[in-house]
Amino acid sequence: MKYHVFTRDNAGDDLIHAGMVTADSDRLARIYAHRTYDEEDWEFMGIVREDNLIEVNEQPIAGGETR
Amino acid sequence: MTDDATWPTEAVDYVQAIADTKLLLGQRYGEWMLKAPNLEDDISGASNAQDEIGQVRQLFRLLQQQGREESWLESDRAPDEYANAATLDEAAETWPAFVVQSALTDRAAWLLLDAIDHEDFTGMVQKMGQDEYFHLEHHDARLETLARDQAEDVEAALERYFPDILAFVGPATYGSGDDPLVGAGFTDRSVAEIRGAFHEHYVELFAGTDVSVPPLREDVPDPDAWDETRRRVGEGHVAPDVVDQLQGVSNREFLIQ
Repeated sequence: MKYHVFTRDNAGDDLIHAGMVTADSDRLARIYAHRTYDEEDWEFMGIVREDNLIEVNEQPIAGGETR
Repeated sequence: MTDDATWPTEAVDYVQAIADTKLLLGQRYGEWMLKAPNLEDDISGASNAQDEIGQVRQLFRLLQQQGREESWLESDRAPDEYANAATLDEAAETWPAFVVQSALTDRAAWLLLDAIDHEDFTGMVQKMGQDEYFHLEHHDARLETLARDQAEDVEAALERYFPDILAFVGPATYGSGDDPLVGAGFTDRSVAEIRGAFHEHYVELFAGTDVSVPPLREDVPDPDAWDETRRRVGEGHVAPDVVDQLQGVSNREFLIQ
C-alpha cells in the first residue's frame, strides 16, 4: 500500500506533503515515514493511505444529461 | 536508586554484555542495510546501526569509569572476550531470520538496560529509549507481516534463537530474591521478571497467527552451565573477521590519535 506523508514545522502551520512510503501495514508505514522523513524537527508528522484520498473534481449534475 | 561510584563486579559485566551486544547489533544492522527488501527497510537499518553505535559510545564511557581500558574495549580484544548475545555470533542467512534475530536481541538488550536503576544512567537510558521505540516498533510491525506471509520461517527462526536470547537475559533462578544485581540495588527488575515480560510480549504479538512462540523453559539456560560474564552457555563467539571489522583493523593506519 502507498501512503502519503504530511508534516509541519510549527503548530498552526499548514501541512506540507513531505513524500510517500510503501508499506504492508499502517504500523510499518508509521515507522518508515519517521525513518525516511525525520530529517527536521517536525511539530507533527502524519500519514494517509492513498486509498483514503478523495479526489476533488467535477461530477455530473444529478438528474441532468450534461456536465 | 543507587549512586555508588564503584559498581559491583557483576554490574560491570552486565553493562559490558549490553554494550557488546549493541556493538554487534550495529554490525548486523549495517550488514543488512543495503540488502533489505525495500528502500524503507534499508533506511531503517542504517538508522538503527547509527543509534546502536552511538549508544555503545555512551556505555563504553561508563565502563572506562569503572576501570575497563579504552584500548581493550575498542580494539585489543580476542573474539571470545566479547560478551555479545550468542544470537549475533553469526549473520542471519535470510530476511525473516534477520528480523527475528535483531528483534529478539534488540528487545532483550533494551529490557536489561531499562532495568538499571543507578544514578550514572539517569537521562541516558531515557534518551536511548527514544531510539529504541522505533527499533522495536519496526521489528514488531515487520514480524506481524512476516507472520502472515512466512509463518514457518518466522517460527523456525524463533526456535533457533530463543535459547540463546534467554541465556543473554539470564537464568530463571535469578528471581527477585536471588538476583545479585537486584540485591545490590543496581537493577530494579529481576532476570526472572524480564524473562516473563519478554516471553509474554511475543506470545501476545503472535496471538491469532500461525506462529507458535517457544515455551519459556525454566532450564534454559542451565544455571550451572551459564557464564555470568558473557551471558551465554558454551564457548562460542563471533568470527575473527567480524572482530577485525569491529576493531577497524584494515584501516588502522588511518586512525586519528
